[in-house]
Amino acid sequence: MTPSAGGNTPRRLGVLRIRRNACSGKPEHIICVTWRAAIMADDKDVLRDVWFGRIPACFTLYPDEVTEREAEPFYLLLPRVSYLTLVTDKVKKHFLKVVKAEDVEEMWFEYEGTPLKWHYPIGVLFDLHASNTALPWSITVHFKHFPDRDLLRCSSNAVIEAHFMSTIKEADAFKHKGQVINDMQKKDHKQLWMGLQNDKFDQFWAMNRKLMEYPTEEGGFRYVPFRIYQTLSDRPFIQKLFRPVSSEGHALTLGDLLKEMVPAAICQDDDPKKYQVVIHGIEPLFETPIQWLSEHLSHPDNFLHICIVPAPSD
Amino acid sequence: MEAWRSHVRAALTHRDYRQKDPFSGLFTKVSRLEEMLSLHMDVWEDLERSRTQSPNKNCNAQLRSPSEEKNPSKIYLQLKEEEQVRRKLAQKVSDLTSELYLKEAELQYCHSQVSRYRSEAVLLARGSCCLKNQLSEYEYQLECQSKELAVLQLEQRTLREELTITRQQKEELLERWLEEKREEAERINKHNAALER
Repeated sequence: MTPSAGGNTPRRLGVLRIRRNACSGKPEHIICVTWRAAIMADDKDVLRDVWFGRIPACFTLYPDEVTEREAEPFYLLLPRVSYLTLVTDKVKKHFLKVVKAEDVEEMWFEYEGTPLKWHYPIGVLFDLHASNTALPWSITVHFKHFPDRDLLRCSSNAVIEAHFMSTIKEADAFKHKGQVINDMQKKDHKQLWMGLQNDKFDQFWAMNRKLMEYPTEEGGFRYVPFRIYQTLSDRPFIQKLFRPVSSEGHALTLGDLLKEMVPAAICQDDDPKKYQVVIHGIEPLFETPIQWLSEHLSHPDNFLHICIVPAPSD
Repeated sequence: MEAWRSHVRAALTHRDYRQKDPFSGLFTKVSRLEEMLSLHMDVWEDLERSRTQSPNKNCNAQLRSPSEEKNPSKIYLQLKEEEQVRRKLAQKVSDLTSELYLKEAELQYCHSQVSRYRSEAVLLARGSCCLKNQLSEYEYQLECQSKELAVLQLEQRTLREELTITRQQKEELLERWLEEKREEAERINKHNAALER
């Protein structure tokens, strides 16, 4: 997929080659399949909207932390597609000014008693835990009592990079048996990471478009890399193999995926809506093709993160 | 545009309208003010430090220009602010340069796509031309064959008519032959009967 190409539908062009038959001299028409998935100009806007999605957050220091003077809250617009520990250097710097140096351990975050997993994208954390609350999102900052049972430690950005790259590789294993990511050079991997780290849309997509291509004749990826998160579940997430095209050759939709993975998420016609299916802070229609969603609403780690949260009662 | 596609686009716009737009300007302003405050604090700390550390302050003051003597801290602050602006501009230049490289790469990619599409278009045009030629050839053949068919159909009709006439003639001849044979047989029978008698 290229974010630059135009057209009304994703174009899957075969190349018509004309060859003269040696015996008869008549032309032969050969359709050659090329790897291509172009994106319409409007869809590029979708990619931009996804990339530049922001959540206003207010960071406050946990009241029990020992401080030398009163800690002012810190306000920050968090990129939905990034990771908490990657974008909170300023938060750390801000609070370290007031926290006693001897009390400083690894910084971690919590929202209404739930420790926030840095290895989930920020947008997923928000949609899962706070999508129906007032903004700005109020996050509590801790420097003590790291919850080792709930959170992974993140000592440096290299840890985030390793996590990000391993997730991308996992996604590509689903999509292309890992061929595309393995064919990339180290500098290309670096470009993907630096694009995310420095919030450079063009830099990231110049490389990521290769990961979004698929063979024309297959009509989509081998399997769609997705993760379904539920607030009311003990499992961290659901991740299974799911093809974007049915055996009969028609495109499968978000509804088809949910029907197979979480049937309870789809409400019956006359029942009141129990759950919201949220991706990047929006509720796509169930008839949206899963291949299109994977190409456009995936996070930079190339996974489609789907949150199922209870519908607000009012 | 499909309903699901326009729904996603509208929902994303609405999401930003609710979550991003009301806070974006405010947060940027706060961040800028915090940056300025931090700079001012640093400058103030620096000045305080230099004031406490340099014992021959008065001696240095004699070397300063009249404007500096008036408000040295203000000039120092200005210097720091300009340094920060310079740093930001340098960063911006570096960002723009890398963006330029990216755009150039993308442009190159677009050019390659254009040439690919162009060659495909040429091939398709040639294919279409060949197909058109074939079509006209087939149309001509079809016309010839249609004419031939019409002639053959006419010939067939004539032959059928002739066949009908011939069949009639055959029937007549057969009847005449049978009649003749019957008469001959009667004659022979009569002759045989006469001989027997």
